[in-house]
This record gives sequence, C-alpha cells and structure tokens, in this order.
Amino acid sequence: MGSQISTNDFRSGIKVEMDGQPYVIISNEFVKPGKGQAFNRVRLKHLISGRTVDRTFKSGDKLEVADVVETEMRLLYREQDGMVFMDEKSFEQIKIPLESIGGAVQWMLEDLVYGVIIYKGQPISVEPPTFMEMKITHTDPGVRGDTASGRVLKPAETESGAKIQVPLFVDEGEVIKIDTRTGEYVSRVN
Amino acid sequence: MPPEKISILKDRSLMFAKAREFFSKRGVCEVDCPIMSTSASIEVHIDLLRAYGVSTDTYYLHASPEYGMKKLLSEGMGDIYQMSHVFRDNENSMQHNPEFTMVEWYRIKMPFLGMIEEAVDFIREFIGPIPSVKLSYREALKKYARIDYLKTTEEELFQFLENKGIDPYQNIEEEGKDALLNIVLGVIIQPHLGKEDICILQYFPASQAGLAQTRMKGEEKVAEKFEIFYKGIELANGYHQLCNPEEQLERLVTANNTRERLGKDTLPIDESFIKALEKGLPDCCGISVGFDRLMMLRHRKDDIADVIALSER
Repeated sequence: MGSQISTNDFRSGIKVEMDGQPYVIISNEFVKPGKGQAFNRVRLKHLISGRTVDRTFKSGDKLEVADVVETEMRLLYREQDGMVFMDEKSFEQIKIPLESIGGAVQWMLEDLVYGVIIYKGQPISVEPPTFMEMKITHTDPGVRGDTASGRVLKPAETESGAKIQVPLFVDEGEVIKIDTRTGEYVSRVN
Repeated sequence: MPPEKISILKDRSLMFAKAREFFSKRGVCEVDCPIMSTSASIEVHIDLLRAYGVSTDTYYLHASPEYGMKKLLSEGMGDIYQMSHVFRDNENSMQHNPEFTMVEWYRIKMPFLGMIEEAVDFIREFIGPIPSVKLSYREALKKYARIDYLKTTEEELFQFLENKGIDPYQNIEEEGKDALLNIVLGVIIQPHLGKEDICILQYFPASQAGLAQTRMKGEEKVAEKFEIFYKGIELANGYHQLCNPEEQLERLVTANNTRERLGKDTLPIDESFIKALEKGLPDCCGISVGFDRLMMLRHRKDDIADVIALSER
C-alpha cells in the first residue's frame, strides 16, 4: 500500500491511482452549496490513454498516490518493436515498446532526451520536449500564386517521420522549430 | 504587496464602517460574543477548528456567532449584529477560506420577507443598486434542471446526473435524496443564480431546514430559509428562527448522530444554548452574510485571497 492523498490536497499535476489505473489531476473544484455536504469536482487524465474524465468526490475522500516516477531518458536506437532508451542518471538501458510510446513516436530522434513516466516499474509514456528543432526531409517546392487562393501552408515530412504543415517558403533540408503539443510549425531555425 | 491590494484593504476598512452605519441607522446593536468556547455548534457538514493551550481544555473556534447571539437574544438584548472572523476546517477554494469574516444579525419580530429585503439592502451597500428576483427552491429546480424535486425519485436523480455527465461520489445513496439534490444545486443550479439580478432562493425543503422554522406551503413542507446569490456566488443564508427548545435539541442530537455515521467527530452539545432557548428565544429572523465574498464582487475578484489581508495561500 502506498500513501493516500485527500481531496483537500488534490492539486494539478499530482498522480493518483483510481480504479487500479494511473491518472494525473488536471483540476479540482471545491463545491459547497449552503450548508450541504462539501464535494470536489475533479478532472483527471489517464496517464496511458490521455483520456480525461470528470469525477465527483466527497470532500475529505482519499485516493492512493500512484506509484509513478518521472525520469529523463536519452533515445539510443530504434528496434523493430520498440526503442531503446538510457536513463540519464543511472545509465540503465531499457527498451520501451512502441505501444507505450504511442503518438509520440513521430517526435523520436536519436540522442535526444525525453521525459519518461514509469508506473509500477513499467514505462507507460514518453513525452517529447515541447519545442523541437528538426530537419525537413521532404516537401514539394512552394508554388507561387498558391497564396492568392488563401493557401499558405503545404505538407512536409520531418526527419523523425512526422507529417506536418509548413509555410510555402520552407524548403527541403531546412531546420524548423515545431510545437510538439499541436504539431504546428513555429519558425525557421537559422 | 501590490498597490491594488493596499487599496482593497483600505476599502475593506471603509466597508466595515459602512456596515456599522447600516446597523446603527436601524437601531441594531453591535455585540462581540466569544469566538472560542468549550461547547460547540453542531452542523453535519461544518467541521470545526480547535484551540489548545497548556491546560487540558479543548476549545472550539466558532463557525458562526449564532449560539452566543441567541443566548443574548433570550436575555432580552433586542436587535443585535456581530461582525467577526469565523473558522471552518477543510474549506479551501477560490470562494472559501478556513478563516473568513461574517456579518450576522437578528431582528426581533421581523417577518421573513422583511428580513430578505433588509439583507438585500445590506448587499447593495457593497455592490450597488442592483434589482433582485425571488425564486423558490422548487421553482429553481424546475427552471434550471426540469426536476420537480417533490415528485422525483432517487433513481431518477441518479439518472439525471448521469445524463449530465456527473458521476456522484461513492456511497452517496447512503445519504439519501438530499445529498443528490445538493449536487444538483451546487453543479447545475447555482451557476445560474444571480447572473443579472441579485437572486433570492427561498423556501428550502423541510429536510434541509437547519435551524429554520418549517411550515406547509400547499403540498410541500418547506423551511423558512433563504439564501442570496449574485454571479453564482452564495452571499447569505437567512432563517426564520426555530424557537422550540425540544425540537432544537432533537436536531442537534440528529446532527451529531449523522456526523458519527459519516465517520466525523461528534461534538459536545451546548447545554447553556438549550437552556437559553428554554428561557425563550423571541420570535425573530436571523441572517449571516459573507463579508469577503461581498468584497470579491465589489472589486471583481475571482479569488477570495485577493480581498483578505494576509491570506495563507
């Protein structure tokens, strides 16, 4: 049994276990109508699926603190069914299966450091840096005149394999900055 | 401290003076009952803070000055008010602070509707001459949730909450229909109250009477209790006061039993409070108003910490 945490101490970012699953608290609203029972409306995000749920708790109710550790790991190399990372502190190497990496797989570049969430000893998610710089490996040349039709973006592929939209003036081989939360182009990098 | 905070605190001082003027104009006398006592006020859903010294005595910090004020009323003090800090454990949010300022007053022989008028006038001292609208508890649930609470079963309330995407806390069924209605009120109804005008929610179900008198209103047994809302924030809670000592004692014992059942601490009943009621509480209405929340609305602040001198947060 781990430690427990009461609704009074639910803060955004705290990881808890609910129905045997790991969640992170997104928000916690204390509601107390008149002289009635106080309760908390809590929004939680499932740590693996990323799905959010809203739950109501009686104020003072407790949840188990999730056995979750966040570490920084460097991507060493790719294998068929996973990627091998090295813990930046312990230098231990582990292979994280592709299904645990999920949608973040498109932002994986070798020799870069990622945030890895370990739940009960198992890696469950890999977080890329919010902003990443990467090379455009494929995009068609921008066609002059396209802007007139209101089109200012064109498809491109990055060295990590992500398919994104870039402005017409970006050429193959250029390095750009991307917001990995939205997958949007931020700027050119000189 | 930012200059804006300093100016809010100076305005607090001004509003304390205005509040005192409000009462002195009406001949209501200021009292300062103790904030600490060895017996406690007992409410199912209010957790008290305690004070300990080097002696073995346990003192309770008051959650409102109600018991003390009622003792004075039974002694013949007449119309009285108290402005003081009150304490409630485990109440923390943008609208709650465990220590906050309450203005509570009692008016002898004032009718229920007259008390509502006076309370709204007090609120207007802070937020300006905004019109008011009255809504009964039953009407409010019909209007904003399309529920007639009298005719709705617990299962239907569960279904209603589920349809709204609200999952009530575990074991709520043990607490009965009022606990479900409490969630409907807090989540669905309250955000609508006082959007434009000051909203008076009146005539609560008798099962939620607290210390209010109850009576029949058609087929419905209601408590002569009201709450006042503005911009979805609860500002005041008023009653036509219960005077019957036996009924009062019975409600306190019931509240203590419910606390025990919910796994909360039970509290020592204030015998001198019951004695005062036996001596005779005059027919009166009483109300408490949250001073800090009025200051929040006055200064358009969403966080109570922004209007309190030295918030712990």
